[in-house]
Amino acid sequence: MRFEFSTMGCPCALHVEDVGDDVARRALAATLAEVDRLDRKYSHYRDDSLLATLQRSSESIDVDDETANLFDFAAELNRQSDGLFDITAGKLTRLWDGRKPAQKEIDAALRVTGWHRIEWNRPTLHVTTRNMHLDFGGLVKEYAADRCAELCREVGVQSGVVDLGGDLALIGPHANGEAWIVGIKAPRAEGKAAASIALPRGGLATSGDYERALIIDGKRYSHIVDPRSGWPIEGFASVSVVADSCLVAGSASTLAMLLGIERGGAWLRELGLPHLCIDGEGRISGDIKI
Amino acid sequence: MNTNKRPSPSLSLLLAASAALVGHKAHAEETSTAPSIGYRFNVYDEDAFSGAPVIGSDKRYHVDTQQLDFSGNVGERNTLNVDATHEVMSGSSPWYSIPGPNNKPIQVLSGATIRDHRSAISASLMHDAGGNSTTTGSVSYSAERDYHATAIGLEHTIPLNTALTLGFGGSLSHDVIEPTDAEIFDRIRHAQKNTYSAFGSLSWVLNRASVLESGIQLNYQSGYLSDPYKLATVGEAQLPDTRPDRRTEAAWLVRYRLAINDNAALHADSRVAVNSWGQKSVTLDASLYQTLPGDWQIIPGVRYYTQHSARFYAPFFDANDAGSFYSSDYRLGGFGSVAGHLDLRKQFGRWEFTAGMERYHATTRYALGGANAANPGAVSYTRIFAGLDYHFD
Repeated sequence: MRFEFSTMGCPCALHVEDVGDDVARRALAATLAEVDRLDRKYSHYRDDSLLATLQRSSESIDVDDETANLFDFAAELNRQSDGLFDITAGKLTRLWDGRKPAQKEIDAALRVTGWHRIEWNRPTLHVTTRNMHLDFGGLVKEYAADRCAELCREVGVQSGVVDLGGDLALIGPHANGEAWIVGIKAPRAEGKAAASIALPRGGLATSGDYERALIIDGKRYSHIVDPRSGWPIEGFASVSVVADSCLVAGSASTLAMLLGIERGGAWLRELGLPHLCIDGEGRISGDIKI
Repeated sequence: MNTNKRPSPSLSLLLAASAALVGHKAHAEETSTAPSIGYRFNVYDEDAFSGAPVIGSDKRYHVDTQQLDFSGNVGERNTLNVDATHEVMSGSSPWYSIPGPNNKPIQVLSGATIRDHRSAISASLMHDAGGNSTTTGSVSYSAERDYHATAIGLEHTIPLNTALTLGFGGSLSHDVIEPTDAEIFDRIRHAQKNTYSAFGSLSWVLNRASVLESGIQLNYQSGYLSDPYKLATVGEAQLPDTRPDRRTEAAWLVRYRLAINDNAALHADSRVAVNSWGQKSVTLDASLYQTLPGDWQIIPGVRYYTQHSARFYAPFFDANDAGSFYSSDYRLGGFGSVAGHLDLRKQFGRWEFTAGMERYHATTRYALGGANAANPGAVSYTRIFAGLDYHFD
């Protein structure tokens, strides 16, 4: 059974098999409730999200365990990427959403960007810079996919896939034990798959400039912004990673995009996770066989 | 994905940081081990005596070892390892030494060539509790004609934060010794010894390329700790090797792992130990794990070891100066050693072939600060091995 829905600004689907209607609908209800909960809590487009509250507050705030875990994870990604993965860069990301901003706007956004502008001592967060926008992009959708897969397992689904905008978390293999064959999105070719791979467990995530990219005078600008320069990154057109969770796959693919072709490719090889990279010329690299 | 490989430092960090978010299941899957079975053949061959004068056969110990191991999952979060070993030992071993011209020791070797078998089996079960926390229990049993050893162990690792992991554990072993030819040589008929060990370690992920681990190990032995097959010359007489019935040892271990680039990693280890018998030792070990094109891996390495002798060690004793304890066992004497090894690994699909060679040379000249007494039994050996593993997944 396949259920389609939309959340976090992207088309999503829940595939389940070998269960009755009742279990399937409970799985769908749990999935919709969970993505809605996480969207309300962490969306950087909503003024009533927890992130909005945190970034507005001039006081230190103790956050809940789930949020603390996300901040810990984001801190680790920031450390591993030498500051390239930065949840404080929400202002810059918004700036490039649908238009090319002026340099003075970029400069202003850079002044409210940077991990050093927050104080994070679990469970206490203090945003020391006014007008900062926190952005869990690259984390929350992938985390939501893992959470939904876990909830589906809890209601009794053993075979299925959660697909949140192309980021996939496996609920479990096909009823006969075989892996799901899933498509890796092709960059710059909407609806087409660059490759199909067997996903026996875990998750698959793809980061790329195929979605929300900005094209001005024929030049593509990725929606992924370098928090140091304030300009969209140039490098891979897309990076797909397979890991034992969608969260790890998504963070690895996002970091590889941020690190660029040379460093990103080397970093993925060091991680040892199966990956597929496609550059702007359509050249494919990585160890996922297609 | 290849779960047979140990996660890289970067991936370990990501997994540790994500474990709290994505729960135990995803993590358990990441750390689960694909079932594998392996066979190893190992030949250990000590050099014949040369240089120091000897009485008896100069052919020393030779050990052929066959090993079969299995590793696989038991349920979602448990990994079982079972290892069976069979050894065939032959050759002569240093028995005692006597003063020769200019008081230089002459090594006397056991008259008869020993030929013995040892069989051992060990099993360990690791439980992954999630969040990088693991508990491992182990049991082992080893049997020879004259020696039986049983051991159990338990260890636990727990992450303190994303970069720091605490490990601790302990083990007990009980050995029973029933020497052969006890009546002929007036050896002890039956003896036992117990060993109690405890350790604690901290592992730091320093950055995405390096990990540092430091640990302390305490060992306490009690019971019959002498070697029933060795004698010591005290004055004109050859008396049974006689050692204290307790020994306490403390050791400090440091391990460093550095990913030099995508294809090379440095492993550097050190161990400093002192014990209540007056022995002090230092081990320094470094290996380079270099991956080559075509799924080859080459691992060259060197090891240096230095040991200060036990208080009651001498190649022979003056009857007037000998205390309650005396031993001429070369393993308790002062010496230093240098070893070099070269291992090769090659993967063919699900098969992995390994082969290697080690050359070890020990002498009093290599001892740090010099050895305080001659050690005519210091050993040098060559070890070669080959093995084949099959990974089922």
